[in-house]
Amino acid sequence: MAGISTHVLDSATGRPAAGVRIDFSTFDGTAWKLVKTITTNKDGRTDAPVLAPADAKVGQYELLFHVGDYFQRPGANLSEAPFLDTVPVRFSIFDAKQHYHVPMLCSGWSCSTYRGA
Amino acid sequence: MIDKPLSRRSFLPASLALGGLGLQLAGNAHAADAPAAVPAGLTTAPVSQSDLSPRLTMHAIDIFHGTPGASMKVDLSMFDNGAYKPLKSIETAPNGRSAEPLLLEGTYKAGRYEVLLHIDDYFARFDTPLPKPTFLSTVPLRFVVRNPQERIHLAILFTPWSYSYYRGS
Repeated sequence: MAGISTHVLDSATGRPAAGVRIDFSTFDGTAWKLVKTITTNKDGRTDAPVLAPADAKVGQYELLFHVGDYFQRPGANLSEAPFLDTVPVRFSIFDAKQHYHVPMLCSGWSCSTYRGA
Repeated sequence: MIDKPLSRRSFLPASLALGGLGLQLAGNAHAADAPAAVPAGLTTAPVSQSDLSPRLTMHAIDIFHGTPGASMKVDLSMFDNGAYKPLKSIETAPNGRSAEPLLLEGTYKAGRYEVLLHIDDYFARFDTPLPKPTFLSTVPLRFVVRNPQERIHLAILFTPWSYSYYRGS
């Protein structure tokens, strides 16, 4: 299935990161345009695809992960204010027939992303 | 889009094969036009920065080639009044670090920063087979300096398909 999906993992606890806000934007040639704001479910994924197969086009996309809010949520008990706040991930769909799974592994002080599967 | 399907696992052997070709062509009149096969490897051990004064430093490692991320353009911006405003642009040194600290003493302040890596231009210099447009092009790394009395080292690991960054030491 083509399109875009994501998965947010809390690498400080080794658990899915639930309730993380993600702003999804596309680049229209001059500016980034917000398409929608999503929140991760209890599995750290989104209930609906970030981008559905029918909407996939060659172009630039951005996922903005609000990891700072997640790590400072009530009860998170972080030792100090995090190094990361909002983390943008910008990437291209270069072939609309392929699927782009773009995970975010994060702690308050580190993050990692990649073209996953 | 790439002409024939290349799995990501096949890129490294393909790159090495092309690299071998590049070496065979080295004596050829067109060698100057050929891209470098692979970046230069590390020749010295890293040095501890633990006693240095407060500053912002960076270090980029090309973990696709297993080398320092040398000669990569990097733009530093600071969030101010609703937008990231450019502070400076540098090119990484042969060891993958900035030759000078990105920020030091008078310029090192609490705030929100963005380091923009020109990963597309970096890999375009080598024989790395990649689709067009590339999956990653310019990569923004955002982080917060909370306490300018503390040194911050931004450590970066990257490939054409992935990156990670963290508060290093």
